[in-house]
Amino acid sequence: MEQFIVFFIRYLHVVSGVMWIGLLWYFNFVQIPSMPKIPDEQKPAIGKVIAPAALFWFRWGAASTVLFGLILAWQNGYLVDALILKEPAIGFGMWLGLIMAFNVWFIIWPNQKIALGLVEANADAKPKAARLAMLTSRVNTMLSVPMLFSMVSYQNNFY
Amino acid sequence: MSKILQSLPLTVTAGVVLTIIMAFLTDQMSTAPTPSEMMDEAGDQMQDMMH
Repeated sequence: MEQFIVFFIRYLHVVSGVMWIGLLWYFNFVQIPSMPKIPDEQKPAIGKVIAPAALFWFRWGAASTVLFGLILAWQNGYLVDALILKEPAIGFGMWLGLIMAFNVWFIIWPNQKIALGLVEANADAKPKAARLAMLTSRVNTMLSVPMLFSMVSYQNNFY
Repeated sequence: MSKILQSLPLTVTAGVVLTIIMAFLTDQMSTAPTPSEMMDEAGDQMQDMMH
């Protein structure tokens, strides 16, 4: 039974991670590069409908990935060793994931709220917020490459 | 840094470079033999036994 619970938490960790990183890559590989090609009258469909919905699943995907990941590491007995980098093969990946989740909740989401007009802000603040959110999202895309390498290599004993 | 981040191919390339650095640091910092090393060692022992 205990083995099943560990498996099921890992399954939830992976499902949440697919939701999170899938949407991160959607933003960076599809939405952001496509925006200049979309006619101005159609842009509100992205800004008012698609982006807020995608950002909802994006930020909660990040939160649940971290939650299930920490539970999994605790169940497997390497939570502390990974966090203090005594177990660097998974520790680096965990820290990259934690930094990325911090970026989502404390930089990307607050700035996207301003950029998309979901909160009151003056006109000058919108382009600045949009640029900071975009660059931070790119930082996360960059960090996702080593983070996923660490996760997959550790799970497959290839390190 | 922001010039790299504005380009998607450069962002992905930077991610690959970070992966190589991380793999190198992981190798340097690991104190216990890794599963791959243990598998190699077991393979060598098997070969020794067969000769």
